[in-house]
Amino acid sequence: MNIMTQNTASYISNLKYQLLLAFLVIITFASSSQAQQLSANQIIDKANLAAYYAGDDGSAQARMIIVDENGNKQMRQFTILRQDEKDLGNQNILVFFSRPSNVKNTVFRVEKHIEQDDNRWLYLPALDLVKRISAGDKRTSFVGSHFFYEDVSGRNPNEDTFTLLAEDETSYTLKAVPKQPKSVEFSYYVINISKSNFLPIKSTYFDSKNQALRTMTVSKVKEIAGNATVMKSRITDLSNNSYTDMQFRNVKYNVGLPNNLFSERSMRTPPRAWLK
Amino acid sequence: MILPTSRITLPLLALSIFLINTIALNASFSATANEQKIPSEYEEVWDDDWAEEPAESPWQFTGFVEAAYGQFLQSNVTVNSAALNELRTRVNIDYNQQLFSAKAKVDYYYDQVLNKAIWYTRELNISASPLSFMDMKVGRQVLTWGTGDYLFLNDLFAKDWQSFFSGRADEYLKAPSDSIRTNWYFDNINLTLVWTPNFTPDNYITGERFSFYSPQSQRIVAPNEAFPVVKTDKAQWAARLNTRLQDVELSVYGYRGFWPTPTGNMVSHDEQLVNLPQGQSQAQNQNYGYFPKLNSWGVSALTPYLGGLFNIEYANYNSIENSNGSNQDIANGQHRFLVGYEHELAKNFTASMQYYLERTKNYQTLKANSPQPERLVDENRQLITLRLTYRAKQQTLSYSLFGFYSPSDKDAYLKPSIDFQYNDQWQFSTGANIFFGKHNYSFFGQHQDNTNAWLRVRYQYE
Repeated sequence: MNIMTQNTASYISNLKYQLLLAFLVIITFASSSQAQQLSANQIIDKANLAAYYAGDDGSAQARMIIVDENGNKQMRQFTILRQDEKDLGNQNILVFFSRPSNVKNTVFRVEKHIEQDDNRWLYLPALDLVKRISAGDKRTSFVGSHFFYEDVSGRNPNEDTFTLLAEDETSYTLKAVPKQPKSVEFSYYVINISKSNFLPIKSTYFDSKNQALRTMTVSKVKEIAGNATVMKSRITDLSNNSYTDMQFRNVKYNVGLPNNLFSERSMRTPPRAWLK
Repeated sequence: MILPTSRITLPLLALSIFLINTIALNASFSATANEQKIPSEYEEVWDDDWAEEPAESPWQFTGFVEAAYGQFLQSNVTVNSAALNELRTRVNIDYNQQLFSAKAKVDYYYDQVLNKAIWYTRELNISASPLSFMDMKVGRQVLTWGTGDYLFLNDLFAKDWQSFFSGRADEYLKAPSDSIRTNWYFDNINLTLVWTPNFTPDNYITGERFSFYSPQSQRIVAPNEAFPVVKTDKAQWAARLNTRLQDVELSVYGYRGFWPTPTGNMVSHDEQLVNLPQGQSQAQNQNYGYFPKLNSWGVSALTPYLGGLFNIEYANYNSIENSNGSNQDIANGQHRFLVGYEHELAKNFTASMQYYLERTKNYQTLKANSPQPERLVDENRQLITLRLTYRAKQQTLSYSLFGFYSPSDKDAYLKPSIDFQYNDQWQFSTGANIFFGKHNYSFFGQHQDNTNAWLRVRYQYE
C-alpha cells in the first residue's frame, strides 16, 4: 500500500501531492483511533461470549413454534442445562424435552468441542436406551425446527473469516465468509452485533448470487443477572417464508451445576432439582 | 433367489405409499383443518413474554390412539390374511416427586387377528435413588443395551418378534420384563445389574399370526394352537460394566439365564406348562419345547471415527445343558461378532452398515448328530445389514430402508418404511416386511409367505 501510494504520488502534481499527504494524515489519525477499537475477530469473540458463554453455567426453559410454508404449526418445549469448561472453550449441554408427548422425556446431550468433533447422545425413553449419535452435519435442523444445531450451540468462529463492513452508533456489521465453502449451504453471511451488549441481533445468510436465503432476528433481549439475554428470536427460511420462533423463560446463570451432572446418569434419571 | 413378491402385485403397499406421500407432499390441503385441531396456545401469536407457569403438577398424562392394518401379500397358511389389524389406545402416566417417580404405560387394544381385546402393560415401575451413587427401577420395564442395530448379541432381554414382523412401531420390538434394575455410578465406571425373578422369554413366532418352517413336518406350518412349551419360572441375571476411555465407550456384559426362544426339546417334567392345547392333558413322554439354560459374556466398543460412528461387539453364548454340542435337542453354544459403521452421507441422509457373524460351537458334533445335516445352518452364519434414512420436509417426513442379507443362509429381509409427522398430533406410517430366500427352512427364507405391507395412523394426545 505504501509503495503504491509513493509510486502514485510521484506522478501527480505538487498540489495534489499535498492534498494526498493531508488525506494520509487523516487516515493515519483515523486508524490510530481505530487501534483502540475492536477488530472483527475481537467483536466476534465478544459476541460469542455474550450469546453462548454468559456466566460459567446456566439453565433455561425454551419453547419453539415451527411454522411451515402452509401455516402448519408444531411445538417443542425443553429445558437446557449448560456448563462451560472455559470461556470460548468446550461446553457441556443437556436438553430435556417435555413436549410434545411423542418426544417427552427424550434427552439430548452434547459435549461441544472447539478443536474436534462434538460428542452427541440421545436418550430414548421408550427403550430406556442411551444412543450415541454421530457428530454429523451441524447445519441440519435441530429437532425439526429452522434452528440448526449450530444456531443452538454456536458456530465455531474458526470456521469463518470475518471482516467489519460498517459501524454505526448502535451496532457493528460484519461479513463472514466460510473457510470451507463446501461445508455449508450459504456463501457468506452478514451479522449485526449490538454495541451495547455484543449480542448478534440479526444475521442474514446469502448464496453466491447475493440472494438472501435465511435470516435470524432477535426480537427481545432482557438483562438477567448482569447478562444481556436473548429471550425471543426467529429464524426464517426466505425461500418459502417458513419460520421457527424460539422463546426462553426462567433463565438463570451461575447456578453451580456439578461437573458430574453432564453424564449418562442424568439422561436416564433427570436431575429434577436443576430443572425447576 | 426366489422373490415372493414378484409373482404378486403390491396393491396395498403401493396404495399406502401413495397415500402417505400424497399427504406429506400436499400437506397444504388441510392446513386450515389442522389449525382447528391444535391447542389454543398454538393459535395465538406468542407474546414477547412467556409467562412463568405455576409449579408443574406431579401427575402427567399423555398417550395415543392408533389404528394399524397389515396384510400378507401372497397366500399364507395362516388363518388370517392380515398380520396386523388392531385399534390401540395408550395411556402414559408419570408421577414425579422428590424421593421417587412412578410410571405406567398401558395399552388396551382390540386385536382382530387374534379376535380379542387385550390389556398390555408395557411399563409399571417406580424409580428412586436410594444412594447418592445408585439409581434403581423396580417393576415392569423395557430394557435394552448393546451396540447392534436390530441385531442383538449381549442384549438377551425379551424381544417381541411378532410385533417386529408385523409392522408395529419399533418400540414394540422390545418386550417388557418384570425386573429390578440397579445402576451404580462410580467415578469413571458404571455398573448396571438387572434381576428378573421370573425369566421372561421373547414373544417369538408362533402359528397364531405367522407361518414358519417346522423341522418335524419339514414344511411351512401355522398351527392353530401354538406348540406346547414348558416355561421355567427361575430367575435371570444380566450385568453390564461400562466406562469411557477418551472417546471410546467400552462395555463388558454378563448374562445368566435361559435362551430367549424355545431352542430345546424335552419330555415334560413338573415345570409349569404354557401354551398347552386346551383340554389336552400332559401326556407321558410327549415332547415339549423349552428354554435351555444359557450363560453368556461379551464386550463392546463404540467410538466416533472419521466423522461417523464405529462399533464392535462380541458375545460368547454357553449353552450349558449342551456344552459339548452332542445333544441334538438343545441349541449349541455360539460366538457372536458384530462390526458396524454409521455415517451421514449428505444432509439429512444417513447410512449404516453392519457385518454380523454367528459361529456355532462344536459344529462337527452337531452335524454328526443331526437328522438333517444338509438343512443345518452354516457353521458361520453371516449377515450384512444396511440402513438408509432420509429425512425431508423439516424432518417431518422420513424414508427408511433396513435390509438384512445373509450370504450363508442365502436369504434376505427388507423393511422399507415411510413416516410422516403431520403435526404434533397426527402421524402416518406405512411400510413392508419383505422376505426372500433360496430355501424355505432358513432363518428369513421360512418367512417368505409372511411378506406383508402395513399402514398405521396415530393420534397423540396430552
